[in-house]
Amino acid sequence: MTRVAVLLAAVLGAAMLSLFWGPEMGFLWRGMWSGEGPAALTLRVIRGPRVAAGLGVGAVLGLSGALFQMLFRNPLAAPDLMGFTSGAGLAIVAAISLGLALPLPLVSAAGGLLAALLVAALSRHRHRPTPPLTLVLVGLGVGFTTSALGTFLMTRLPVQEAAEAQRWLTGSLAARGWDHVAQVWAIGIGLTLAAAAQMRPLAALELGPDLAAGLGIRAGRARAALASTAVLLAAAGVAVAGPLPFVALMAAPLGARLVQARTAAGRLAAAATTGAGIVVLADLAARAALPGIQLPVGVATGLLGAPYLLWLLAREMERGDL
Amino acid sequence: MRTLPLLALVAAAAALSLGVGVRPLSPGNVWQALTAFDATDADHVTLLALRLPRLAAGLVAGAALGIAGTMMQALTRNPLADPGLLGVNAGAACAIVAGGLMLGLRDEGAMAALAFPGAALASVAVFALGGGLRGDAGPVRLTLAGAALNALLLSVVSAILLIRQETLDVFRFWVAGSLTQAAERPLAGMALVVAAAGGLALAVAPAVEALSLGAALARGLGVRPGRVQAAALAVVALATGAAVTVAGPIAFLGLMVPPLARRLAGHALRAELLVSAAMGAAILLLADTAGRVLIAPAEVRAGVMTALIGGPVFILIARRIRPGAMA
Repeated sequence: MTRVAVLLAAVLGAAMLSLFWGPEMGFLWRGMWSGEGPAALTLRVIRGPRVAAGLGVGAVLGLSGALFQMLFRNPLAAPDLMGFTSGAGLAIVAAISLGLALPLPLVSAAGGLLAALLVAALSRHRHRPTPPLTLVLVGLGVGFTTSALGTFLMTRLPVQEAAEAQRWLTGSLAARGWDHVAQVWAIGIGLTLAAAAQMRPLAALELGPDLAAGLGIRAGRARAALASTAVLLAAAGVAVAGPLPFVALMAAPLGARLVQARTAAGRLAAAATTGAGIVVLADLAARAALPGIQLPVGVATGLLGAPYLLWLLAREMERGDL
Repeated sequence: MRTLPLLALVAAAAALSLGVGVRPLSPGNVWQALTAFDATDADHVTLLALRLPRLAAGLVAGAALGIAGTMMQALTRNPLADPGLLGVNAGAACAIVAGGLMLGLRDEGAMAALAFPGAALASVAVFALGGGLRGDAGPVRLTLAGAALNALLLSVVSAILLIRQETLDVFRFWVAGSLTQAAERPLAGMALVVAAAGGLALAVAPAVEALSLGAALARGLGVRPGRVQAAALAVVALATGAAVTVAGPIAFLGLMVPPLARRLAGHALRAELLVSAAMGAAILLLADTAGRVLIAPAEVRAGVMTALIGGPVFILIARRIRPGAMA
């Protein structure tokens, strides 16, 4: 538990750093205590929601990735590799280009679930169980296709809306308000409770489908419920920040290394905290790396995450697991 | 090998590419423009200034990606290999964007020259990362390594484009696969490069086939694995670099063409390479023409069309890979 507390404190420290970072750091710090003036306004309207949204998005993505990885017992199972986040992102861009005035979380959830159903249906075999790696490969294919569709829709949009769509597809935390924060935190907490209610089946499934059946768990149904929770968690993140690459993939293993929790719940908590930390630090890095230029956070997680995936592959290769 | 139907397919694709579009041109018109060009006739100008370069670019890039895809799949024994999906396209585009920006290049030819080292580095990297140097580049491993490399390079490209927005216009083309800017590309030069890559591919094909039996057996047959791999990767880099130079990064073509080509050519790699070149050209031209008609007067870029056709093909092949053969 103390390790969780240390991790949590570190993430909150990173959030504070991100809140104040910049040439006007001292100015913002004094402004926070005076409570008035442009500095306080900057914190309240721009930085505050940005950082709080980043924490929420990172937490739901981390949780989603951890659920998938535990469910399929494979470190490569993650909503971004399996095409779910790009499905959610495509749905949002489609809604923008059709001019639909629907709430983005709904659109994103629908897109994510559709992509998940598509991947599940397309990787199903009649005569043998679906190996997790087939899911990952089919998911990659679905991801490639949905991002091509997203690019296509974007080219059809007028310039201004195209820029908005491009931000969605890259993944960005710019111009997020408190309504986004409330949205991702409220949905995230609701889904976290839903996940918490499924800890027993999850722990059983981790032992393998046969043992789970022996414990009286209906494996198919339990897996579908857990996978839906995980897809919705990913979609909640995408609805606020776009399909941030690799956060869901990295959060759980990194969290496990930092915390070494034994229970499933402990590992999920570690993954959520680590995911929050990754997004806040990546956003800070993307803002601070080059003076005067604000890169979207999705560029930073792409640059950080790809080497991680390569390292992961190299390690799996060494172990002979892949 | 069914040479005649194949050539007929390419000819039909070429004819459609010349005739179909926002401004439809009749065969007679096309013939006249070629034999008795009249600079005051808008149809003739369209044909010579736009459609012919586009046709040439489609032939060059399509043939190049067919060759590159076939060579990659033969070398890695991976049915999911494609220069676009494994990051080789992205390597070329990244080198053009990064190098062009740092060197401040504005000359098309000089920028194009950067495509080759970029494609070469990326193809060596993905081959090594996927376990190819140890002779066991399994489909899953190679595909995931390629996806990671692709994501990394595309992040670099989009970071650079976002940093220097004034350069976005210059480089936007290389990030979007399409034949629309064919007239401004060094087509003749790249056609020579593709011809050279094709020649090298034909020369090295028997050795690549021997290598696919296993390194030990190949050595027994007098093949030097290191050299053969280097030559095959050189084919991939040259062909992909040329394709990116004329058409930008177009994915999935190198994935779709080899299995189709195998059906026509059997399993002899030389025949497969020749058929792949022809089929790659035909499919890219058809995709480009369809993209021009689909939502006319606007266009769907050829790269988007190949992705929309190729995505389902990718999924089909992925389903067929047996878990036992994953490693």
